[in-house]
Amino acid sequence: MLKRMTRLVSGARQLDPGRLLHRGPQAPQSLAAHPDNQVPDGSPRAVSCTSEGDPVRTFNEACLMVRRPALELLRYLKNTNFAHPAVRYVLYGEKGTGKTLSLCHVIHFCAKQDWLILHIPDAHLWVKNCRDLLQSTYNKQRFDQPMEASSWLKNFKTVNERFLSQIKVQEKYVWNKRESTEKGRPLGEVVEQGLTRVRNATDAVGIVLKELKSQSRLGAFRLLVAVDGVNALWGRTTLKREDKSPVAPEELALVHSLRKMVRNDWHGGAIVLTLSQTGSLFKPRKAYLPQELLGKEGFDALDPFIPILVSNYSPKEFESCIQYYLENSWLQHEKAHTEEGKKELLFLSNANPGQLERLCAYL
Amino acid sequence: MAAPVGKAARGWSVLALGLRSVVPRLPGLTQVRWSRYGPEYRDPQIDKEYYRKPLAELTEEEKYEQELRKTQLIKAAPAAKTSSVFEDPMISKFTNMMMKGGNKVLARSLVTQTLEAVKRKQFEKYHAASAEEQATIERNPYTIFHQALKNCEPVIGLVPILRGGHFYQVPVPLPDRRRRFLAMKWMITECREKKHRRMLMPEKLSHELLEAFHNQGPVVKKKHDMHKMAEANRALAHYRWW
Repeated sequence: MLKRMTRLVSGARQLDPGRLLHRGPQAPQSLAAHPDNQVPDGSPRAVSCTSEGDPVRTFNEACLMVRRPALELLRYLKNTNFAHPAVRYVLYGEKGTGKTLSLCHVIHFCAKQDWLILHIPDAHLWVKNCRDLLQSTYNKQRFDQPMEASSWLKNFKTVNERFLSQIKVQEKYVWNKRESTEKGRPLGEVVEQGLTRVRNATDAVGIVLKELKSQSRLGAFRLLVAVDGVNALWGRTTLKREDKSPVAPEELALVHSLRKMVRNDWHGGAIVLTLSQTGSLFKPRKAYLPQELLGKEGFDALDPFIPILVSNYSPKEFESCIQYYLENSWLQHEKAHTEEGKKELLFLSNANPGQLERLCAYL
Repeated sequence: MAAPVGKAARGWSVLALGLRSVVPRLPGLTQVRWSRYGPEYRDPQIDKEYYRKPLAELTEEEKYEQELRKTQLIKAAPAAKTSSVFEDPMISKFTNMMMKGGNKVLARSLVTQTLEAVKRKQFEKYHAASAEEQATIERNPYTIFHQALKNCEPVIGLVPILRGGHFYQVPVPLPDRRRRFLAMKWMITECREKKHRRMLMPEKLSHELLEAFHNQGPVVKKKHDMHKMAEANRALAHYRWW
């Protein structure tokens, strides 16, 4: 039991040179892997975390607690048979129990094993608060989202730098009268095209997803599709057309291509998904089960999947978390070191990791 | 049933014991701050340790106290006062002063975010500093808060006294509670008024607290100004009769 509680201390020595992580204000963004252990000092470095503060700046390291759901997932991933269709794993649980960080742990593991990571940090950001919706050039019925698509392409590029030159495109794509990508060019060109011509960014994303899906069966690389907040793909959106009529999620090109990606009709990788009520639209606060958050349509689309429940801290995990905070001197209040203080923290947070973090922030 | 009994008792006790407050009741002055409780109401005992002591360990006076409390009337404990080990009366008072329109939830969240901001800033400084400096950097937000407010407390204050038709600003020693109140009031007013429109209160407050902790910044300057005014007016000190 105790072995499982040892922390994955990817300290500043390993994590900074080995990882390029992007920072989001409230949502985590992609995780990158560099094969070699040296990173130039000028490289951008930020942190994948769900809270406001930046643990790398605060503690000079970024640590994850190794917990049972993540270990279970890693065991399944290690034993995947790549000839079979991709298995879908869905992490679900109440608010603040650690679903997103378990996903990050799995991504870290796969990155270390040199998989190609397709990470969407928060699918809810694609269905709300979009300033510019363009009519899609590829299909008149659908809508493009240039800003979201280009920021995702930027993250994708940093994460999977070395695969972009290896994977070749299998079809010719014509962007407009003057620009086109020939068959056999590296995928990096498609990404560049999406980044430079922001109008075509959504189509570039669609092409990237299609190519990766068709080429993963060839066995040159292993593909991990990681989506956080996958219930956004089958919910409702808050976006409206010019005549104020609501937009359904399937009318968004990004959502359409992502839905195709999450289907299990390809092999050579795995799909790890997380449900999240926090950013979701029109869902009750207490909903956390897959049926409640995905709705009938989403559940049928994702069926069959392997559900993995992420729950609150067990007593040992709680103790371990408090010890970590005490070692880093994050808990500065003199009463926090006492038994009384620990009992009170347990009572106030109910062993919920998110709540405990918010409590310890000001103690 | 306790309420009518209490009222009747209070009516009786006021007649029998007369005045129950320190300020002499003058015809022109009305009490602004008064409580609905009579003098026979005792304060509630919030401390958990008091109740956990086994019977054998109590001294004679404490046994008498406990017996007495069974029959005496006790005031209700205020909602904001808890028996939590992390409770701090100064923080509670500060939160109440920050509160606007009874929105205690917002005030408390602002104060906790301020403490968190102070902590994070100090941690950043700590990691950027060399080994000798690390020993001098204080990271506990509560010690910083208390020390900063203590540094902002004025020692002597000015009171307007009416003499011969004019009000003179007379230097006067301030009681402890007035000093604490002035320090907190100055800090909050400074942070509310002198910040950029888009800057959030926790950010500004944490900055001011850290400056006051090092005896710099506008609030400590205000304290020094108060001291200088009192020094300038020291000839009027004779007007004070208490």
